[in-house]
Amino acid sequence: MLELAANLGSGFVNCFEPLNLLALVLGIIVGLLVGVLPGLTLVMGVILVLPFTYKMDVTASIVLLTAMYVSGTYGGAFTSILFRIPGEPIHVPLLWDGYAMARAGQPSKALGWTLVAALVGGVLSWFIMVLLTKPVAAIALKFSTPEYFAIVMFGLASVIALGRGGLANAFISLSLGLLIASVGTDAIYGSYRFTLGLPLLADGIEFLVVMVGAYGVGEVLSRLERGFASKQVETKAGANTELPSLAEINSVKGMLIRSSLLGNIIGIVPGAGATIASFVSYGVESQFGRRKEQMGSGIAEGIVAPQSAATASVGGALIPLLALGLPGSGATAVILGAFMLHGVQPGPQVLITSADMVYTIFASLLLGVFLMCLLGYFAIKPLVRILDFPEAVVSAFVMILCFVGAMSIRGNLADLWLMIGFGFIGYLFERFRFPIAPLVLGVILGPIAEESFMNAMISFGNDWTVFFTRPIAGTIMAITMITLLLPVIASLREKRAARSAQRG
Amino acid sequence: MSASRLVACIPYLVWLVVAAVLWFLTTQISFDARPGQIAPSFWPRVAIGLMGLSALIEIGRQLFSAAPGKEIAGIGEALEGGEDDEDDAPRQSHLLLIGVALTVAFAVLVSTFGFVLSTFLYLVAFMYAGGYRNHVMIWSASLLGTLLFAFVFLKVVYVSLPRGTAPFDSVTQFVLNLFGGFA
Repeated sequence: MLELAANLGSGFVNCFEPLNLLALVLGIIVGLLVGVLPGLTLVMGVILVLPFTYKMDVTASIVLLTAMYVSGTYGGAFTSILFRIPGEPIHVPLLWDGYAMARAGQPSKALGWTLVAALVGGVLSWFIMVLLTKPVAAIALKFSTPEYFAIVMFGLASVIALGRGGLANAFISLSLGLLIASVGTDAIYGSYRFTLGLPLLADGIEFLVVMVGAYGVGEVLSRLERGFASKQVETKAGANTELPSLAEINSVKGMLIRSSLLGNIIGIVPGAGATIASFVSYGVESQFGRRKEQMGSGIAEGIVAPQSAATASVGGALIPLLALGLPGSGATAVILGAFMLHGVQPGPQVLITSADMVYTIFASLLLGVFLMCLLGYFAIKPLVRILDFPEAVVSAFVMILCFVGAMSIRGNLADLWLMIGFGFIGYLFERFRFPIAPLVLGVILGPIAEESFMNAMISFGNDWTVFFTRPIAGTIMAITMITLLLPVIASLREKRAARSAQRG
Repeated sequence: MSASRLVACIPYLVWLVVAAVLWFLTTQISFDARPGQIAPSFWPRVAIGLMGLSALIEIGRQLFSAAPGKEIAGIGEALEGGEDDEDDAPRQSHLLLIGVALTVAFAVLVSTFGFVLSTFLYLVAFMYAGGYRNHVMIWSASLLGTLLFAFVFLKVVYVSLPRGTAPFDSVTQFVLNLFGGFA
């Protein structure tokens, strides 16, 4: 524990180095702005900032992106509550109670509850992240290839099971991602796969090119097709924050802690990010909360539950990224990309080899949560003014950042063409309701899955039962299968409920 | 069988064709076989199999299911399904085509015009394509935005971006000179 405290102390000191501090402040501000803008998702925002980090030190880069990630879970709350415009899907649940409270004449109070929820969720999940990352990494060090393969399978299964859209579409999206990841030179035999004779493809396709295209260009093209028809902002009244009293906070403290823990746990599960955390937490409160009958009428619980869970999910999502090198969400995938661009591979070894960096990232996250709340308290008015920017203008700049991102990854124009191609695929996916997340996770986790699988096959004489007979791998594979069955069970339950409703 | 069911199958038929083509490509992968070791085509074939199987199941469901519109969806669908999409404006294909054309034009022209000039032209054209009509704002935001991008990516971060060929490279040079650099 003393070692942990000393490392953290050193991390906090490092945070105050000018470049790290600048990255932290900029990350928080940009994250809040991205959260506010409805046309710009959190993942897109993190991707677009990536080119700015190429020449930065790895620690400052990750501090910047992590700060954006955490503040992006908070910024959209302002517009949800004040204007009924969720800047992020995360903040859709805030429309139900947050906006209702604002309409009932208490917008400042609703914003105050959001701030408290983000603060408590962020701080609590930070403690859990700091305490859990090292033990998880220590366990992961004992893993062999079958265990790694099982964990990756669990990540892929959960992104399918917890995603949106039909399961068949999700599987097709995932398989396309796995195939894109297999383009290039095979790691075991050194043979070319799907390179079509092009030298560039022999080096494979960078997952960031896929992400920038599918999330950035695809999304902008989809919105352009609809003429950038965002909802109009009607009023800016009440854009300040009134904190709830200690007695009021005390009255919801159990729910606040429960929602934060729930958000943190959901964040750890690959594929389930802040949005799922926010919805699940609201759902739990609606089902089991003390004032469940009043949910949706503008009560504090309906604001606190989704917001605390969303912010708490960030600390959770960083645990598998740092301890196992596995990104569980779009934003953590970009952060993984930033690590790799700087030649750092997150995973169990990183806590040993780059402890300074890891603890600086830890410290920056806590400082980021406080800074985010301070800015949220004092700077709501200027932050929400960004809504006055026409979406056509913002989107034009987003496209240029996408181009720069693609051209700068390997410094060639072929990546620009690939990115545009993936942008068009992203658009088609949105058009025909194929989810993008499995595609992207397939591209990122595909090489890890294939390498673990092939190495396990070599080590265990092509005995595929090792994935099921070894205790840890077998347990994780069982959980993976249960995860895949969840949508089927949910569908059966829904059908049964519909049948009984018809009879009744 | 209703026409709508057949139309709904089209995307999955496309995926089946894609799977077949990719499977053929895996037969072209050359490698020196090692005894007792799995071939490099194995993993892609697993993914292709998953793609083909999913497409076949969906085609079967679209053709023969009593309720083809009711598919088994991820949990996220159930969680978020209650909330309508914020963006429900009608689609305008011509806008999409203009957007794609502009984007492709940028990629075609950037090596000739250079990043600076291409960016400026793209920003102006895209804002007009997006339906924005404040001319002063469009031209000034494009100019300032271009200068900002050039400063950040060509002077501060030093990203390798095309400078263009003569005579257009002089625009890039002029902008760099504005920032006091003589690259």
